Amino acid sequence: MRTIRIAGVGETGPVQQDRRSIPEMVLGAVDLALADAQIGHGEIDSVVTASVDLFDGLTASNIAVTEVVGAVMKPEARIAGDGLAATVHGACQIWAHAYDTVLVVAHAKTSMAANGKLTQWAMDPIHLQPLGVNFSAAAGLQANVLAQHDRHAEKRWARLSCERRAAGTSGMAKKLSQSEILASEITTSPLRNGMCAPLGDGACAVVLQAGSNAGGPVLSGVGHDLEAHGLGDRNLVHWAGLTRAFDRACRVANLPPADARFDLAEPSCFYPHEEELFLRATGIDGGTVISPDGGLMAGCVPVVAGMSRLVAAFKWLRQTGNAGKRALVHGHWGPAGQAQAVAIVDGGL
Amino acid sequence: MIREEAIKIPFQYAAGTAGSEFLINLRDHRQLTGSRCSDCERTLAPARAYCPDCGREGLHSVNIGPGAELVSWTIVPDKGVFALVRPDGADTAMLHKLLGPIDDPQPGIRLQVVFREERSGHINDIEGFAIVQENGE
Repeated sequence: MRTIRIAGVGETGPVQQDRRSIPEMVLGAVDLALADAQIGHGEIDSVVTASVDLFDGLTASNIAVTEVVGAVMKPEARIAGDGLAATVHGACQIWAHAYDTVLVVAHAKTSMAANGKLTQWAMDPIHLQPLGVNFSAAAGLQANVLAQHDRHAEKRWARLSCERRAAGTSGMAKKLSQSEILASEITTSPLRNGMCAPLGDGACAVVLQAGSNAGGPVLSGVGHDLEAHGLGDRNLVHWAGLTRAFDRACRVANLPPADARFDLAEPSCFYPHEEELFLRATGIDGGTVISPDGGLMAGCVPVVAGMSRLVAAFKWLRQTGNAGKRALVHGHWGPAGQAQAVAIVDGGL
Repeated sequence: MIREEAIKIPFQYAAGTAGSEFLINLRDHRQLTGSRCSDCERTLAPARAYCPDCGREGLHSVNIGPGAELVSWTIVPDKGVFALVRPDGADTAMLHKLLGPIDDPQPGIRLQVVFREERSGHINDIEGFAIVQENGE
């Protein structure tokens, strides 16, 4: 199988509001990624973008980003999901020998409209949408299932949120103590405002290239999975889709899932209970560094979320002393983690 | 510059065969309808045209409820309480509203579906699920 090198990354945000247009914001991330990879638009064979038209208020893949990602007169595929799923598809294009260099881009601007109203429209239009249910309510229902027989859950989630917020450097997340988080207003019980990742605007771009690991971190394995949309059809105590995605990624990377060890984990957690679901689904234990930059709790852009974790892992693996180490990256989208994506990244030589 | 705009486009969503049967039975019979999958032997709530687990089509419609069991709930300020409830006779849960007053609900507590007097073939023909008091009310 071909080795896929992560040749360059770029990101704008997360910020509370990026007043640039979507194309300008995306172009900023693309320019950074191309400069990091030391290539130009002409060397990109294919583009995969991640965006959700509903969130953008327009068909961004046709109107807003085609030109700035350099996709005019080139093959462009669009994923209506998390950017890490777009990365999965970009990697598959290279492994299929269809292309050698693929640019993967994700973007969203939550400042454009009320996110809670948008995610309500992402629910089933017959049985759920008319009730007013949205992704936030779905998260509350899932958290409640976990908390029902765990009287320490809320305090533990508050402590975890406090730690992650404290580690963030984006400036988006207000530093809050555990007690302040427990006293913050209920959003969707048992979740409170201080437990919710602050939403913002941003874009991420990654250049994937067939090559060797001599030039830096490589993408060793990917996997993704979707569960049923209805929350009542799933066992909310477990992210079974993530376990399946993780197993697939491990198989691609020639790692036995039960024995796979990671130096770094970058889960996509919009809420603290999701980090516990991530650990349970992947079997990650205490020997793994988790979200040293605070993860999404430090600032979160839906759709970009999982890809921002890939960029964070890439930067960590490029730090002095981390070459040769292994990272597990995670993204999810849909209500209560309906869809899951995983990438395994190995540091270069 | 930032231009403000609201998108207002009326849509017509088809409920599908099983979804329509579910809504019609709410409207005309105050009845919850599920679907029985003969392959995985589960009764799904609400009714649907295919099994999400095994993909089988042509499921059999069955009456479920009116009693139900509380699976999970979340209090949402200004919106009320959303709940996952498993209607009697069903193996999966459906999402709707939990009607008040609600004082420390517990998983497994008994519920009863409450229908609206005015019904139009809509999920909100169900007003919600009310907690059954110990005296059965």
